[in-house]
Amino acid sequence: MSDKNKGLDKAREIYLDSSRRAKELKAADKKIIGYPCVYVPVEMLTALDLVPYRTCADMKEPVTEADRALPHSFCPVMRNCLDCALKGKNDFLDGMVAIHSCDPQEKTARIWESYTHYPYFHFIDMPITVRPEALEYFKGQLNDFRKTLEAFTGKKLSADKLEAAIKSHNQQRALVRELYELTKPSPPHVSGTEIVQVVKALTSLPVAEGNNLLTDTIGEVKRRAAGPEKKSARLLIWSSTLNDTNIMQVLEAKANVVMNESCGGVRAYRGEVKLTADRLEGLADYYLNEITCARTFRQATLGETRKDYARDLQSRFGYLKGAIKDWKINGVVMLLVRYCDPFAFEMPSLKDYLNSIGVPSTYIEYDYTTGALAPMRTRVEAFIETISQ
Amino acid sequence: MTHQEAYLYFAGVDIGSTMTKVVLMDKAGNLLSFIKGPTGAEHRQLANEVMRQALEQARLQIDDISYIVATGYGRLNVPFADRQITELSCHARGVSSLFPDARTAIDIGGQDAKCMKIQDGRLVSFVMNDKCAAGSGRFLEVTAATLAIKLEDMGDISLKATEKIQISNLCTIFAQQEVVALLSRGEKLENILAGLHDALASRVATLARRLGIERDLVLTGGVAKNIGMVKAMKESLGCEVLVPEEPLLTGALGAAILAKETYMKAVRAGEALPTKSRRLEKATFFSQE
Repeated sequence: MSDKNKGLDKAREIYLDSSRRAKELKAADKKIIGYPCVYVPVEMLTALDLVPYRTCADMKEPVTEADRALPHSFCPVMRNCLDCALKGKNDFLDGMVAIHSCDPQEKTARIWESYTHYPYFHFIDMPITVRPEALEYFKGQLNDFRKTLEAFTGKKLSADKLEAAIKSHNQQRALVRELYELTKPSPPHVSGTEIVQVVKALTSLPVAEGNNLLTDTIGEVKRRAAGPEKKSARLLIWSSTLNDTNIMQVLEAKANVVMNESCGGVRAYRGEVKLTADRLEGLADYYLNEITCARTFRQATLGETRKDYARDLQSRFGYLKGAIKDWKINGVVMLLVRYCDPFAFEMPSLKDYLNSIGVPSTYIEYDYTTGALAPMRTRVEAFIETISQ
Repeated sequence: MTHQEAYLYFAGVDIGSTMTKVVLMDKAGNLLSFIKGPTGAEHRQLANEVMRQALEQARLQIDDISYIVATGYGRLNVPFADRQITELSCHARGVSSLFPDARTAIDIGGQDAKCMKIQDGRLVSFVMNDKCAAGSGRFLEVTAATLAIKLEDMGDISLKATEKIQISNLCTIFAQQEVVALLSRGEKLENILAGLHDALASRVATLARRLGIERDLVLTGGVAKNIGMVKAMKESLGCEVLVPEEPLLTGALGAAILAKETYMKAVRAGEALPTKSRRLEKATFFSQE
C-alpha cells in the first residue's frame, strides 16, 4: 500500500500546502528564499544552504490587494502572485530573488520590494536574447547575485559547494525526465495532474528532499497496477505557467496530457547545467540557452530569419518535435494566459511550425480565474473531438 | 431491418446558457419533436422538464429512447444522457444535415460566438470568442433592457435605419453608456440599433476570418432570429448567409444525429453500448459526468 509520507501522496500533500515544509525548516533556523520564476538559478541558493521556495499564484484567490499597485490589464499570474505576497502569505520568507524573465515580473519585483520587508532582496537583470554578448552580460549579473548572497549569508560561494549543488539539481532534472518517461506508454503510467503536484512540490522543497520524493514517486508509479485510464487523445500543453491541478483536470477530462511544456511541467528540467571551469558560466548558459520559454528571443543565425522562415521555426520550436514523436502526441493545446504577450506573440509561429510537422493544434486563452474553467473545458473537448473522430 | 430497429429513437439535449433545447428523432432521421425552453437560473434542474415535454409531444416514454447525447454548457449535468459531446461538434453536425454544402457555421448564442469549419459533415476546426459578452447575444439582450424595447423587436426596428451610427466601443457595458449618450444627443433609435448590430456583426466576422470563411455559410443560434443581425452579418462577411428555419435547434439536432450515429455504429460493430439510467430526474448541482 502507498505510504502517506512518500511518493504521490506526499507530493499531493505538499502541493495542497506548499509552504508547510518551508515553515518547518524556517523554525529549524534555515533561511528560506522565495523566487517567482524558474529562471532564477536555484543552485546558487542551495550551495549557500538557503532553501529555494517558488512563490506561486493561487487561481482560487480573488485579486484584491495587488490592485492597489498594479493595473487590471496585467499578467494575471503575476498580479495574483503579488496579491498573495501582499496578503502576507509569504511573510515567512527571509528573502526574495526576482528576475527580469518578462516585463510583468520586472514591474512586479519593484512593487514586491517596496511593499514587503524581507531581510534580503535581489533582482537579476536577465537578457532576452541568446547571443554571445547576452551570455557574457548574464554571467556578470549572476556574479552580482553571488555578491549579495555572500553578503547576506556571510559565507563564500565556493566552486566546490556550487559544484555539489549543480550536481544535485542536475540529478533532479534527470529524475523529472525519468518520471516523464513514464508518460510515454499508452495509457501513461502517471497523469498530467499527478506531475503538476510533483513539480510544484519540487519547487517547494530543498533539492535533496525533492530528489527523494522523485525517487519514491518513480518507484511507486512503476510498481502500481492502476494508473490513469486511456483517453481518446494524447496531448502536449504549451503554456507559460501550468501548475494548477484545477486546470490540468479540465484538460485531462477527455485526454491524457503526456507532456506539460510549461514551468509547472518539464520546462525547467529538460537540459542539464554543464560543469564549466567557471561555474557561473555553466549556469548562465543553462538558464539563458536551455530553458525554452517564449520570453527568450531565439534567432536562427544573424540575418537568416527573413530568408528562411522554416529554418527560423525549427530553431525556435525544434525541441518540441522530438517530444511529439517520442510521446506519440496527437494534439497540442497552446494555453495562453491573458495579457501574456511573449506567449501570445509566439503562438502564430508555433501554429505554423506544428502545421508544418502535421500536428493538430488549438489555442485557448484564459484569465487565470476559476470562472475560465468551464469555457476552457468546452474548447479543449471540442478540439479533442476534431482530432479523435 | 428488423422490426425492432425500425422503432429506434434518439434524443439530443442542448443546455445552453440561455435556452434548453431537445430534439427527438427516429432511426430514419424523422424529427418527432423539438422543444425549446428557457434555461433559467435553475437551469440544470430543468433538463428533465424540457425532455418530458418533448417526449409528450412525440408520444414516447423515456425508456423508448435508445441513446441520448447531451451538449451545451450544461451537458455535464444531464443525468439521463448517455454521452456528452461539445456544442461545437453538435452544431457542425446539425448544420451540415440541414445544409449539406455548408462549410462554415457561425453560432451566436447567449454566452458565446462560435465559428466552425465543416468537412464531410464534421467539425474540423473552430474559434470561439473570449470570456466576454461583447461577441454574444447577451450584448443585444443587455442593450434591449437598457432601451426598454423587446429583444425580438430589435432587428425590425434596425431595418428602418436611414444611417448607421458608429458604435466605437464593443465592451457591452461601455456600449450601453455610448447608446445612452447617443440617445440624449437626439440620435434616432433605429440608427443606433443598426450601428449596434453592425458592431456585433463585425466582431463576429473578425472571429470568423481568423478561421477562414468558406461558403456555404450558415448562421445559427438565437441571434440568427434577428433579421437585423442577419443583414449586418451579410454586410460584414460580404457573402450570402443561410439561416435554418429553427436556428436555435441545430445543436440539439446535431446531438440527436450523433446519438443515432453512435448507437448504429455500435450495433453494426456488435458492441454493447453503455447507457445511463432512463429515469427522468433532476440533476444535482456540481455533479461531474
